[in-house]
Amino acid sequence: MLNRKSEMAKKRNTFTSYLNSKNLNDSEPKATIEDLKLLPGELQVASTASVLYPPTVKITDTNENEGIEGVLIVTNFRLSFISDHKEKVTGSYQENMFLGRNDVCLNNIDLIYQIVDKKKRKLLPQQKISSRIEALHIVCKNFRLLKFSFKSKEGGKNIAHTLALFAYPSRSDLSFGNLFKENYYNTIKMTVTMFNTKNDWTRELIRCGTSEWTELKVMSAETFNSKILPKHFVIPKTLESMFDTYSRAFTDCRICFWTYSFGKASLLRIGEVKSIENSYIYNTTLEKIRLNDPMKQPLELLNLCDLLPSIQDVQRGYTRLRELCTPENPRQVLLQESKYLQLLDKTCWLLYVSLALKESTRAAQCMLKGKTVVLQENTGRDLCCVISSLTQIILDPFFRSIDGFQSLIQKEWVSLEHPFSDRLGHLYNPDGADKESPILLLFLDCVWQLLQQFPAEFEYSETYLTTIWDSAFIPIFDTFQFNSEFDRQLAVKEQQLTLRSLWDWSEQFSERDKMLFTNPFYTKKESVIVRKSVIPPNAIPLHGLQKSFSSSRLLRDHPLQTDSIPKDKFLQPKWEISSLGVWQQCYYRWIPLFEIKNGGFPHIDLHNRLLLSNIYKLQKTLETGCDPSGDDDDDDTIDVMLRPRNKEINFQDVNSFFPFSSNENNSDQLNEILISSNDVLMDGSIMERND
Amino acid sequence: MDQSKTASTNSLDSDSKSSSINSRQGAEHLTIRDSPFAYLSGEDDQDIKSDVTYVCPYRGPSFGILTITNYRLYFRSHPNQLSEGELPVVVDVPLGLISRVEKIGGSTSRGENSYGIEIFCKDMRNLRFAHKHQNHSRRTVVEKLQAYAFPLSNGGKLFAFSYSEQFPENGWNVYEPLAELRRLGLPNDSWRITKTNENYTVCDSYPAVWAVPKVASDDFLKKVSQFRSRNRLPVLSWIHPKTLATITRCSQPLVGVSGKRSSDDESYLHYIIDGNARSEKLSIMDARPSANAIANKAKGGGYESEESYQSVEINFLDIHNIHVMRESLRKLKEVCYPTIDDSKWLSSIDNTLWLKHIKFILAGAIRIVDKIETMSTSVLVHCSDGWDRTAQLTSLSMLLLDPYYRTLKGFEVLIEKEWLSFGHKFQQRIGHGDSRHSDADRSPVFLQFIDCVWQVGQQFPYSLEFNELFLITILDHLYSCRFGTFLYNTEGERVKEDIKHKTVSLWSMVNSLQEQYKNPMFRANPTGPQIVLKPNASMRNIRLWKGLYCRWNPSMRPQDNIYQRTRELLALQEQLQKQVTECKLKISSRPTPSNTRLASPLH
Repeated sequence: MLNRKSEMAKKRNTFTSYLNSKNLNDSEPKATIEDLKLLPGELQVASTASVLYPPTVKITDTNENEGIEGVLIVTNFRLSFISDHKEKVTGSYQENMFLGRNDVCLNNIDLIYQIVDKKKRKLLPQQKISSRIEALHIVCKNFRLLKFSFKSKEGGKNIAHTLALFAYPSRSDLSFGNLFKENYYNTIKMTVTMFNTKNDWTRELIRCGTSEWTELKVMSAETFNSKILPKHFVIPKTLESMFDTYSRAFTDCRICFWTYSFGKASLLRIGEVKSIENSYIYNTTLEKIRLNDPMKQPLELLNLCDLLPSIQDVQRGYTRLRELCTPENPRQVLLQESKYLQLLDKTCWLLYVSLALKESTRAAQCMLKGKTVVLQENTGRDLCCVISSLTQIILDPFFRSIDGFQSLIQKEWVSLEHPFSDRLGHLYNPDGADKESPILLLFLDCVWQLLQQFPAEFEYSETYLTTIWDSAFIPIFDTFQFNSEFDRQLAVKEQQLTLRSLWDWSEQFSERDKMLFTNPFYTKKESVIVRKSVIPPNAIPLHGLQKSFSSSRLLRDHPLQTDSIPKDKFLQPKWEISSLGVWQQCYYRWIPLFEIKNGGFPHIDLHNRLLLSNIYKLQKTLETGCDPSGDDDDDDTIDVMLRPRNKEINFQDVNSFFPFSSNENNSDQLNEILISSNDVLMDGSIMERND
Repeated sequence: MDQSKTASTNSLDSDSKSSSINSRQGAEHLTIRDSPFAYLSGEDDQDIKSDVTYVCPYRGPSFGILTITNYRLYFRSHPNQLSEGELPVVVDVPLGLISRVEKIGGSTSRGENSYGIEIFCKDMRNLRFAHKHQNHSRRTVVEKLQAYAFPLSNGGKLFAFSYSEQFPENGWNVYEPLAELRRLGLPNDSWRITKTNENYTVCDSYPAVWAVPKVASDDFLKKVSQFRSRNRLPVLSWIHPKTLATITRCSQPLVGVSGKRSSDDESYLHYIIDGNARSEKLSIMDARPSANAIANKAKGGGYESEESYQSVEINFLDIHNIHVMRESLRKLKEVCYPTIDDSKWLSSIDNTLWLKHIKFILAGAIRIVDKIETMSTSVLVHCSDGWDRTAQLTSLSMLLLDPYYRTLKGFEVLIEKEWLSFGHKFQQRIGHGDSRHSDADRSPVFLQFIDCVWQVGQQFPYSLEFNELFLITILDHLYSCRFGTFLYNTEGERVKEDIKHKTVSLWSMVNSLQEQYKNPMFRANPTGPQIVLKPNASMRNIRLWKGLYCRWNPSMRPQDNIYQRTRELLALQEQLQKQVTECKLKISSRPTPSNTRLASPLH
């Protein structure tokens, strides 16, 4: 279906002369359309000569030289821009194996604006496309703003037309994930628990020390309403007999799922009952949960619908935040500069982060006191995921390791079915716009705040968190693509989808980039116990590929211990807005104007990596007795990265958005905006005129 | 450092993280008496009251003993009030920090802790003490505080003149004007050094030694000075080692409404241009908003018109005057102290305009750096009198241009030179020992500069040899009056009062305890583009310095310190390096395998 459609579109594309005559005289080697390496199953649909502009530059006829000339290509997977001039490889940019630096997945595209007669208009599918498109503004879900102008109106129209068709798919079977037919060898670490088997849940119960005394039962969906329920889940045994009847009274059958236990306290997620008539069932359920508690204590019920913003609020906050991060022209930059903190305040984003941290801290405090916490939300599949995950990160150091974090997302988000497809807007749904909400980003931001407050407690870095958000829009990885396990299995069955977990990072990144996922400030906690997980039947484990992820591979074969969670490694986060910050790397990285050249946090990060590397070498020298200075085969990746060509350690290309710096352009002229005097910007009311 | 820990970790209000006041030199210099704190040399008790309640805005009231010396106010809660394991409440504040003392409540006041005193400090906090009516203890406390906090209003002398601690380093030797000019390569073909102001007669607020264009004779300098406000004629601050582009500083020209001209001043600026072969132009950076510069004509001042002065371009940098800055800091204090309204946090910070003022100072310095570095054009900086905003701009741009000023000693030189010797009026701006707390001359101009330096350190974590504690220490002792460094308004006054012999320099203490003020991330000998720092002036990169402005609030303390981890790693690296070197020395015998596997390698 898609193939046919794309071929049709290809035929319609008659505009071929994309090379500007002016450039033909250029002696430099030009990049061509052939430089786009199509993936298996990827088809080119449209292409045209265009100019890529920096996000903050207003596209006018007079500033053409501020942009980069090249070819814009639409495929069934991505929007790709190939510069006419081969790009300088700086070695300071994260290289994705599927996407070039100026590529975005169609999945990532949120809004498309067409500029016609200097007017900006939103481009919607099934809408007439102007034949006089001068430029396109493309706003991505990961805060990127791409601006293209076209050499020919025809070309612009062609691109706009194909984008309207391909960037807004209406059915999941159109996803590129189904078409991508590259062979896949699972190299995912055995230490990540996928929570897709009964065994995984049982092991988690044992790890939490609950099996011995708490009556919990691992259930499998096959016996029930398998379309709505997760494949496997854990419920209190006291509810087992009435589960089938009771669960139907709850929205999406989300009656009550166990997720974690800390000592004698457990953490549960519960949905709302469908109507008031079911309040008896609701009350009985809560009572049954309480009776399941070994201490028979009253439950701590957190009604997240009352305590936290709705998913629509979060979406609005995100939209406003994104507006603040995608100024389109110098005027907007100046306006934002003049009241930046006010505008930031108005987005409410930090308020929502603050509230999520506050409630998670509260839940963790209750559990520390031995009280069982029940998180309640209408379907129990949105903010429940956020609060439940954060509570566990606060309490349990395992979830602050990379393996643990990935296991946590598998458990709370994937297995217990956060509706990713709806929330991330993978499908175009003109009626279901209020279903879209970046709950995952809210969670990642909260984790980032914790990382800022406790840099030594986390194995992962902010680059890792940012990369997770980017990866949510790559349909090749199924992790964040589906609303439910049922949908995922349907795609496997009907579309022959190959399941590729996002946690198989080697699929996307080289060792060098993966190395930046770890945090050099992490002081490894000995008490982190890594569980042995069951090897997936189709997996062929490859050795030596997970070098950058240290986490105790040696511990893999340790016997599973009962209640191996340390009880004294919990965090005490600050959740007040005044203690929070803006996740600059994730939100501002696409705007070169806001980047600190040769500065920023990456210098602290790299400085410490280098120290660790030196210490490692010195220790090796002391252990082996030989001098490593002449050892060129040293596969130490930090050095490979920092001295790409010569032996000198080079911090020169390291800017504050590293490894996402987009400083191809010399933006010195842009910087004028920030330092030029401008009386208008000052609030004149309090200024005295006399000196 | 140990002293500062023991003296302070037991206090919410002055612990080692937030206050540097207690850092002292080795124990042999301390006079230990039967007292909970270590007295400084020259420090004597003035009053002790054992029935005072300190009303902490965070921990509530605690009952204890209040001691007042000629240097400090010290409160310690009674030990019997504490439950097991609880630390006593300690308040330890140098009297120099006090801006005003007010009595609260009268003889008719009812209610607990409603009768007593409130002390307003220059470092953003207020202290409340409650007394009991019947004991009449309040009267002498207020009297003693007035006498020793405001000695200049009461015919007394500042504590710095009683203080006589000996340090291994003598901070008064840090800045030697001739040596510093020599470091800059002066004198050279175009610039000479003159001592015409040796007796501070040409310009009383300028230093004794100047670097000026070689062709300008001493007599000519006198003529030029006539046309500049308070005789502050253009004098060299910094010269680029290669391009010879210069930063010179002065006050506004006395143009007035009639648009007066001075051919001497005009030719003098030409001499400055001639000193730099790479550019035909001089860029004048007037720190003020243009409206203020124009308004100053009415008072006889103004700015250089491009008609009268050939080959100059004038830029206005929009930095506001001392009154606007004082008001902004007042608002900031309201937002940060004592408690924070979290729901309004972001917009209240925005409303203070403090960060915007910081941005404009930083942006001004970036423009100066850009002229010097990118265009090789010399820059002349002035504001109205050339001792407030001008000092901010010249010192900040010099810090960005010259790595020397980013070292610990270089930074001391920078302060000594651009702030102290060029007559930033510290006495008036801070009001040392002066009870007139609402004096219109007070303003946080120097604080803003230190804030800007902190911003630079935030943006370039490897660039400064010193750390945040160093900056906070400077600010604490800016007010404390323990050291002579920041006393008086001009170099001339300091020479007259002989402070180099009668007081101790702040740098004596700092340089004797250097290790604790060093930044473990510092990279000495920068190369390539990192020699010159170009901060990003977007509001998105300008932060509120919570470690300074919110330091009294226990809930605003940082959770974890990554610098500590770096310091530990550096120590480990050094230790291993030593072991490796030792092993290499014993190379003849088989190297013994070491068991020093202390940290994990790269993850």
